[in-house]
Formats: sequence, C-alpha cells, structure tokens
Amino acid sequence: MAPFYILLVEDNPDDLFLASRIIGKACQHELVTARDGEEADELLRRMEQDDSYRYIRLVLLDLKLPKISGLDLLRGIRDNVKLQGLPVAILTSSDNETDQEQCWQLGVVDYIYKPMTVDRLKGILSRIEGAQ
Amino acid sequence: MKDEVREGAGVSMLYVEDEADARQMVTRMLAMNYPNLIVYGADNGLQALELYRQYIPEIVMTDINMPVMDGIRMSREIKAINPEVRIIAVTAHSDTSYLLSAIEIGVHHYVLKPLNYQELFTVLDKVLEQMELKRLVSEQHRRLAQSERQLAAGQRIAHLGSWQREPDAEGMDWSDEMYRICGLEPGAVPASYHAFLERFHTDDRDDIAASMQSAQDPQHQPEHRFVRVVRPDGSYRIVRLDVEGVREGDHAAGVIGTCHDVTELKQAEQQVRSLTEELERRVLQRTSLLQATVSELENFSYFVSHDLRAPVARLEGFCTALLEDCGACGHANCRQYAERSANVVQQIKQIMDAFNSLTHLARCALTIRDTDMSRLARDIAHALSAEAPERRVEFVIAEGARVKGDPELLGKALRHLLENAWKFTSRTERGRIEFGWTDRHDVRTYFVRDNGVGFNMKYAQMLFKPFQTIHAPEEFGWTGTGIGLATAHSIVLRHGGRMWAEGEVGQGATFYFTLEPNPESGSYLKET
Repeated sequence: MAPFYILLVEDNPDDLFLASRIIGKACQHELVTARDGEEADELLRRMEQDDSYRYIRLVLLDLKLPKISGLDLLRGIRDNVKLQGLPVAILTSSDNETDQEQCWQLGVVDYIYKPMTVDRLKGILSRIEGAQ
Repeated sequence: MKDEVREGAGVSMLYVEDEADARQMVTRMLAMNYPNLIVYGADNGLQALELYRQYIPEIVMTDINMPVMDGIRMSREIKAINPEVRIIAVTAHSDTSYLLSAIEIGVHHYVLKPLNYQELFTVLDKVLEQMELKRLVSEQHRRLAQSERQLAAGQRIAHLGSWQREPDAEGMDWSDEMYRICGLEPGAVPASYHAFLERFHTDDRDDIAASMQSAQDPQHQPEHRFVRVVRPDGSYRIVRLDVEGVREGDHAAGVIGTCHDVTELKQAEQQVRSLTEELERRVLQRTSLLQATVSELENFSYFVSHDLRAPVARLEGFCTALLEDCGACGHANCRQYAERSANVVQQIKQIMDAFNSLTHLARCALTIRDTDMSRLARDIAHALSAEAPERRVEFVIAEGARVKGDPELLGKALRHLLENAWKFTSRTERGRIEFGWTDRHDVRTYFVRDNGVGFNMKYAQMLFKPFQTIHAPEEFGWTGTGIGLATAHSIVLRHGGRMWAEGEVGQGATFYFTLEPNPESGSYLKET
C-alpha cells in the first residue's frame, strides 16, 4: 500500500502541535504541514504537477491563515481540474455561520470546531476510505 | 293677502270727521269689517294733530272741510311729522279747489261723499295692501343688507376676497377684502382685469390668466393654485386662487373666484417642515451615533467569538491532551488538576456563548408580527410542567395578550421569566405562577408573578445585569450563566419597552414589562 498523507494547513504552533498529536493517535498516515496559505498553495501546485496529490487522503484546513485564507485555498482546490476531488475538512475556532455555509457549499467533508478529537478524525477518515 | 292683514292687524288709523253722526257710523262699520284695526276719532284738524302726535297712526282718513283746522292744513302738518303716513281724503264732488294742494302734499287716496262703504273698504284694502308690500320690500332690503354685512365681515375675518368677471371683459368686480388682501383700500383702483393681474407676481400672471381662460370651458373642473400677491409696499402674500366658470344655460357668463390669503398658514407649514427636517437631522445623527456604538459592539463581539475562541480552544486541546496522556503518570493531583482545568475551560466557553447571545440580541434584526403572548406563555408553562411532573405548580395565564413584536424573541423573554419563576418556587409548597397585565397610568404593563422565595429590593438593580445573581448557584440547582433575566430585559428594550421587578424575601417576585405598541422591524445596523 502506497503511503498516504494528511496535509495540515495551520499557522499557529500550538494548534499545529495539538492537531499533529490527534492525527498521530487517529491514523498511520504521514503528516505534511504548511504554515500559511501561500506555502500550502505552492505545495499543492507541486503535488499537482508530479501527481503526488493522489496520495493526499485528507486536507485539514484552518480558515484564518496568513497571506491566502483557508476559504480561498479551498476555492482554488475546487477550481483545479486535478485537485478538485480532494477531501477537505475545515478546522476552525470561529463560529461564523457564513463561512460555514460557504464551506459546505464548496463540498467539505467536515467542519470541525477546535479542538479536534481523535474520534472525530477517525470518523472522517473511515468515511473517506469507505467512499473509495 | 292674509286675512289678518286685510283686517288691519297691528295697524292704527286716525279718522277725522266733524259730523259726529257720520263719524260714529263709519267707525262702527270699520270696527265690523276691520276688527283688528285701531281707530282713533277726532272732530277737527287741531284735535286730530294732537292725537296724531300721541299715537303716530299709519293711516289718516280725513274730511276736507272742517272747522278750526281744515283737512288740507292738517294733512300738511301730519306729513311733516311722518312722511310715510298714508292719507285718505274723504271729499265731496264740489271740493275740487283743494285737489292740487292734496296731490302736492301726497294725499294719494280719496273716497267720495256721501260715503259708499264698499268704496271705502276697497280704498282701505288697497292702502293696507300697499303698506304690507312696502313692509315686505323693506324687510327684504334689511335682510339683503344684513347678509352683505355678514359676507363682508366673513371675508374680512377669513381673509377671503372674491371677484367676478364677465366673459373676456376688461371690467371686474372685487370684494372689499380682495382689495385689502392686495394691500389696497377698497375701491382704491378701478377693478379691471389688467389691474387684477398686476396685483400678482410677474411669474404667476400667465398661470392666472390661463386659469381664468380655461375656467370658461364647460368641461373645466374647478381648480385652485397658490400664487403670490405683491402689495404696493413690496411685501408678498401667498393666496390660494380658486377659479370657477359661471354658466347661464348653455353659454359662459364669466368667471368667479376667490383669493384666500394663506400666508400665515404657509409660514406655519414651512415652520413645521423645517422643524421636521431638524428633527429628522437629529434622528439621523443619533442613529449614526447608535450605529457607531453597535458596530463597536459588533467588533467587540467579533473579538470574543473569534480571537478569544482560538486560545480557549487551544487550552481545551491541551487539557484533553493532559487527561489522555497523563493517565500513566500516577500522580493523583495531575489528573484532578487536568479535569478541573477542563471544567474551567467549559465555563469560559459558556460565558463566551452567553456574551455572544446577549450581544446578538442587541444587534439582530427584529421581525415584527402579531404575537399572542398568552399562547406563548401557555406553551412554556406546559413544557415546564411536563419536565417536572412531580411538582405541583399552578399556572394562571391571562388570555388575549396580543401584541406586535418578534414572536421568537418575545417567546424567549417569556421563557426566561417563567423559568425564573419556576426555579424560585421550587421550595414553595403551593407554587403559583401568574402571567397577566394591568393598565398602569394608561400604559399596558405585563407581568410574571410568583409566590416563590422573592428577593430583597435592595438587590433589584442587580437582577438584569448579566452574570450577576442574587442567589448562590448551588442554592437552586443553578446551572446557567446568569443571563436569563438580562436576556429578557434586553429583548424588552429592543421592543421599546421597560422592565422592572418588585419582590420581598419569602413573598415572591413580580417582573413587569411594557412594550412599544408599534415596534419597528429590522436592526440598528445599516443595511449593507
């Protein structure tokens, strides 16, 4: 079985630490991180070119990010022919209803209020695996 | 002619005749035929004059040839006293010499001697008839003069001038008040069409001429316009000019109209307008101030709901990590501290939620509908009773509390008030919770009353402050954040009302509130 990745886009070091910890507990997937929107964007472009994006099992996306917002990243993914099918879950501490609605419309697999729990992540992953 | 008039009602006559027999005879015949005629008898001119001076009768019937003073001389004297007197001369065929004198004096009636009664009565009837006609004419004159006086006074008082013009004629007729409105003495200038137009502001003249022209059209509807009169001193008057066509049968008989001086009225209107504008300006100013405050609140609540949420979520994450990973640590305190920290985080989150829900109330848009608060209260009471069937609480809910308001928010306010009452009657043996209203100083005041533990009035100010409570949390199994009453208060404020409470320790509490009869939908925030 080829190794799968989870791409975590998170700028806050504490949140990064907490999310990594949960991911480590919930699955065996490797973790790739991006520390802001721009970095995530560049990473996704590279992966699109060398087709390594196929190994991304889940993108965990914070909404409030430096440079490029999570919502714009999500739109970019959905507008990209190759990337548009990527499973994306939002990880946020905001309770902005408009954001949430827009994200659901852009086809996210989940919208998680921080902190994420192991069970929640396991649930998402099993849904993704079940769908494949 | 009416019989009464024929019978000489209210009329008196002086009858002068030197022959006593004839006088008595005629007097008797007159009394029979004219029972209401008062007849004074005299046997010569001098005596007659005295009687005349005394009674001033309207009619004098006199013989011509009499001793002491003849009829002609006497008649002249009487005419001098009262020119209106009607004199009937009783004359023989031979008395022609007096005729010219009689006509000159104004003796217009005569009967011939020897007296033929029928002839006398015919003459007398004619005299009475003429007197009545004269009376009627003078009555009409009097009425006409009176109504002219009234019209003039009415026009003066109402500042309403009138005018009339023959079809396309130069000449016009203006009422006195019309002159006065134009700042002129009545009759000061000839009332002509051109003089009329000249009274008005040059910019208004074409319109006025057009109005007068079109008023002659049979299809024309009466119309009015506001125009400016320029007085000789240069001052302006604003008048309402009404023009109507006058028609006689099929053809136009000219135009008639009024000029109503409404300057003061227009000035008052202008004043009202500028006051309204000033008021609107102030409202706008206050609204923008309010909007500034609300957007500040918006920013602040954004800060709480976003910026503060992130670190709290982190804290929660670390607490969970601590609990999960310290299981093996073995140090009892570690786990306990982690658990208590996690609890504190939950409390912080609750307070943040409570805060957000309160600020939401201040800025959310109201949807005003007809709302039956009695029905809302009943539903809440049922729900509360169903949750704790073991409790015996009597709910008394007045019917028909129909108001205009946001049903969702008013329901929320009522729920907080009723839950509050429910909570604080939990130790009362026969709990009684009442919802109703009274009209206090003509203001409908709703209330929720309970017979629970009540409160000390010195703490009344604290009741509606968020996160503040009078009773200790553990006292009544309190689990909330202490924003129930603050929420109800805030909802009532949004509905333009007021809320206050009265209570006594051990005697229960009553929460009163009023609502604006017609609250406005929407929010304080600008529509974006």
